[in-house]
Amino acid sequence: MHLNADELIDLAEGTRPERSAPHLAGCDHCRQQLNEIRAMMARAAEVDVPEPSPLFWDHLSQRVHDAVAAEQLPRRAWLDVAAWRRVPARWSAVAVAMILILLVFSSRLLSPTWSLRHAPALAPLPPDAAVADAAPRDDLFSDAFVDEDASLTLVASLTANLDLEAAGEAGLAQGDSAEHAVTHMNGDDLRELRRLLKEELARSDGSKG
Amino acid sequence: MTSADAPLADLDERTLVEACLASQPGAFDLIVERHRRSVYQLCFRFVGNHEDASDLAQDVFLRAFRGLRSFRGQSSLGTWLYRIGTNVCLNRMSVKTPLGRNTESIDDHQFADERAESASDGMLRTERAARVRAAIAQLPRKQRATLILRTYHEMSHQEIADVLDSSVGAVKANFFHALRSLKKLLGDEMA
Repeated sequence: MHLNADELIDLAEGTRPERSAPHLAGCDHCRQQLNEIRAMMARAAEVDVPEPSPLFWDHLSQRVHDAVAAEQLPRRAWLDVAAWRRVPARWSAVAVAMILILLVFSSRLLSPTWSLRHAPALAPLPPDAAVADAAPRDDLFSDAFVDEDASLTLVASLTANLDLEAAGEAGLAQGDSAEHAVTHMNGDDLRELRRLLKEELARSDGSKG
Repeated sequence: MTSADAPLADLDERTLVEACLASQPGAFDLIVERHRRSVYQLCFRFVGNHEDASDLAQDVFLRAFRGLRSFRGQSSLGTWLYRIGTNVCLNRMSVKTPLGRNTESIDDHQFADERAESASDGMLRTERAARVRAAIAQLPRKQRATLILRTYHEMSHQEIADVLDSSVGAVKANFFHALRSLKKLLGDEMA
């Protein structure tokens, strides 16, 4: 039986003497393999790494020093792009929060109960009119509407089920986090959200027109 | 000797790590200074060009800094850094194009000391080295890592097995196949 890889490596590196492998003396195949391995080891070993500029080493040290110093500075997790790329949990938590927001607002637009509850505020619609027509949009995001609407409570309830440990690691349990933003929107926040959504809807209408 | 009452340069590895963890100024800089050459060379062996190697070396030290608390002193600091470096380089290899295409051209080796040999001998030696480097760059990941750690960083089979989360038998098999593959890739040149 021929020598295996383990035995050939030990013989080539000299950790095992050739006399311990009598097979070698009578087997040209194994002898050739051993010689080739030794030749390649020598061939590979003679390849150096090109020496960089002498100035490089201090430059490398300085780069590492700066990177470590930046690491130690308190950072706003939202602005730390590198950390976002490192921690998938951040993306997961944000994705969950965004999906919840979209679900809540789209359900408002499409829900028949919403239309019924707010019927007095709406202009009469033709039977074939789209539910989310231009008329109710002004009322849709009014402060009074949001304050009495249970949707935000639903968002708060659902986001409470997020993995808080992962969210905390991801920086989402801090004061400026998505979870906090979702559950603690004040009047200014809601007005800004309303303005942005109206802009977006107007742009969408314009592009359709 | 504690880290508080001794010059940093006199500290052994373990105490130096403790000094880093105690936020002693300059302690981690000294670790970088002691290991920067070997870490850079390890990275260069993997990627074959200076730019990537210097970026990766920086990344290795940054990861080491972040994970310093996990260093238990069971292996040397150098071996621990090699472990981080190997993982960083292998991860990089998995997201980049085959590195054989990225290796530096022969003209980039301007710092090789060739004063003692003739211009043609120097050119020949550099060409041969570039060919071997390119062949190593084509090896599968574990074969390449094993060849690099064994041949250029003189790590034992057991240390390599620890770095690669493998067994000594698998390391020897990888080394054997790496050398055989290298022979095939270099082809007639070895004849």
